[in-house]
Amino acid sequence: MCRVLGYLGEPLSLTQVLFDSDSSLVRQTYNPRMMPTFLNLAGFGMAAWEPHSIEPEDPLTYRSTTLPAFDRNLRSLARKLAPTCLVAHVRGVTNDEDVLVGETNLHPFRFAGSRVVLAHNGHLRDFGRMRYDLLEYIGPELARRIEGTTDSEWIYALVLSRLTDPYGTPEADELADAAASTLRILRDVRARHGIDTSSPANLCLTTGRDLVATRFSFDYGWYPDEDALLETDLPYVSLWYTVAGDTRRSVLIASEPLTLDTTGWLEVPEYSVVTARTVAGGVDVQTLDLDV
Amino acid sequence: MSDTASFLGSVPLLAGIADGDLAELAALLRPRVLGAGDVIWREGERADAMHIVVDGNVAVSLSLPGDSETQVATVGPGEVLGEIALLDGGRRSGTARATEPTRVLLLGRSDFAALVSRRHPTAFALKRRFADVACQRLRTQLARLAASLGDGDGAGGEPLEHPRAELEPSGAPDSRYVRRLADFRAVEPLALWGFLTAGRYMRCAAGRTLIAEGEPATACYVTMNGAVERVIVRRGRRIRVGLAGPGRAFGHESLIDGAPSPVTETTRERALLLVVPRDAFEPLYHGETAGSHVFLDVILRDLMASLRQALRPQAHLASRRAWAADPPAPT
Repeated sequence: MCRVLGYLGEPLSLTQVLFDSDSSLVRQTYNPRMMPTFLNLAGFGMAAWEPHSIEPEDPLTYRSTTLPAFDRNLRSLARKLAPTCLVAHVRGVTNDEDVLVGETNLHPFRFAGSRVVLAHNGHLRDFGRMRYDLLEYIGPELARRIEGTTDSEWIYALVLSRLTDPYGTPEADELADAAASTLRILRDVRARHGIDTSSPANLCLTTGRDLVATRFSFDYGWYPDEDALLETDLPYVSLWYTVAGDTRRSVLIASEPLTLDTTGWLEVPEYSVVTARTVAGGVDVQTLDLDV
Repeated sequence: MSDTASFLGSVPLLAGIADGDLAELAALLRPRVLGAGDVIWREGERADAMHIVVDGNVAVSLSLPGDSETQVATVGPGEVLGEIALLDGGRRSGTARATEPTRVLLLGRSDFAALVSRRHPTAFALKRRFADVACQRLRTQLARLAASLGDGDGAGGEPLEHPRAELEPSGAPDSRYVRRLADFRAVEPLALWGFLTAGRYMRCAAGRTLIAEGEPATACYVTMNGAVERVIVRRGRRIRVGLAGPGRAFGHESLIDGAPSPVTETTRERALLLVVPRDAFEPLYHGETAGSHVFLDVILRDLMASLRQALRPQAHLASRRAWAADPPAPT
């Protein structure tokens, strides 16, 4: 079911959020505290924006199916990086022979040339039945770029297809509108196929300048008979955020708090979208109802 | 009768409990003396005891992102705080601090659990009192949220966002599914059966109003599938104060304290509901059967969850106010 982390603000110690904090993202691969029946061992990925790097508007991307706790390359990289924007993700999958663990299925997704990256915490039940009906909503040149087998990469292609320019740098409002519009398409296509069981879709999108995250589930509270994911999906898939400093110098959004002490973290309401935009001296954070 | 037992007789929460039972309870309590400014517990700490204030005053505050906090309650002599600890043993939802020299009495979670396991009448009387206290706190909390939306005269006359619910009778959910719900996993099968057969199962479409704020409730509900959102609406502006997913009860506040519903309850998803009408609620809520105990626990769990959920929008609002007072300039 995955865990995701989004960050926007002042330069951030990557080691701190990935490895060192007492409920860091890497610790959440083997000991997620808010998802007790599931581990996230199917790979790690991140996109990190460094203002002093060459072509700073392009993120450094890293993906590996190696368990991140034992990934020395990632530890070394994390010690040297202090990004101003980050999306990182650890993937969790069911023990199912249809599931593929591989680099092309790792989040966050970013098609070559696009400024937008996306990571997904959740899963669309019965995705195989609806997958090819989504093609009519995806630009052909974007559909050709889908390499993996996940529902998440299709969601990414749908989001890009909802933008005025899939290769531009949309602001937070346009990103949030594209995410909501994508969820409405998924809702309609699910209805067309009679798919009506719980399917969480917490999406985390960023351009390196603005950050948007949804907390959403289709048909929350309905499950197939004998469902292996029931205990995981019974609680509404979680999303939390916190800001640093009285003047909101930065915002950290995560599937679950990165510290055991949750003081100072706020739970994002269900069926909501959080938008964070860079402003002079800090970030502006808003939480809005998601009308889907 | 000991001094402690005499004092307990003056505590509203314990009114009506027999002198012998109060003396037994007094023997379980531990005294603690606090100076002004002493922290009793911090937000996020594991909760392990309820406190009864003997004299002095305690303030409860919530932490906010950005190293600030907002005060959400004060508790004085004869009042209790931290009773949630006795019921769910979760983490403290706020920081409690004595604002002046204060004496408190502690009832530990393990001592209370021992009373419950012996099926001591005081334990169940206390649980019902906790429900009363939680109801009252929830209403206070919700009234504050309503005020933040510019509530002048309270609820009334606010047009419903969604049409009234039309319930359609349905069969019971699969018992294997019910037993996998976290709230029912540890319940004895016979007690669970007693609870699950206390009402009727009904289906409801998404986007329908089950109970409107300000109206008396005629039934309480338990969501078996789907989700019901609890909202406060004023002048077209709304705050969602909770979401009742599978295994969660709602609509019981009015049945407990007789006052109108503090929120509007609307199906956010299509839902399968266990509907317990008032005439079935009364004997179940006040009864001593195994099914009654399960029902009481479900109601209490929901009240505790509702209290925690209702703090969430207040924290968001306080956080936004802090932001509005000192925002960074747009680029």
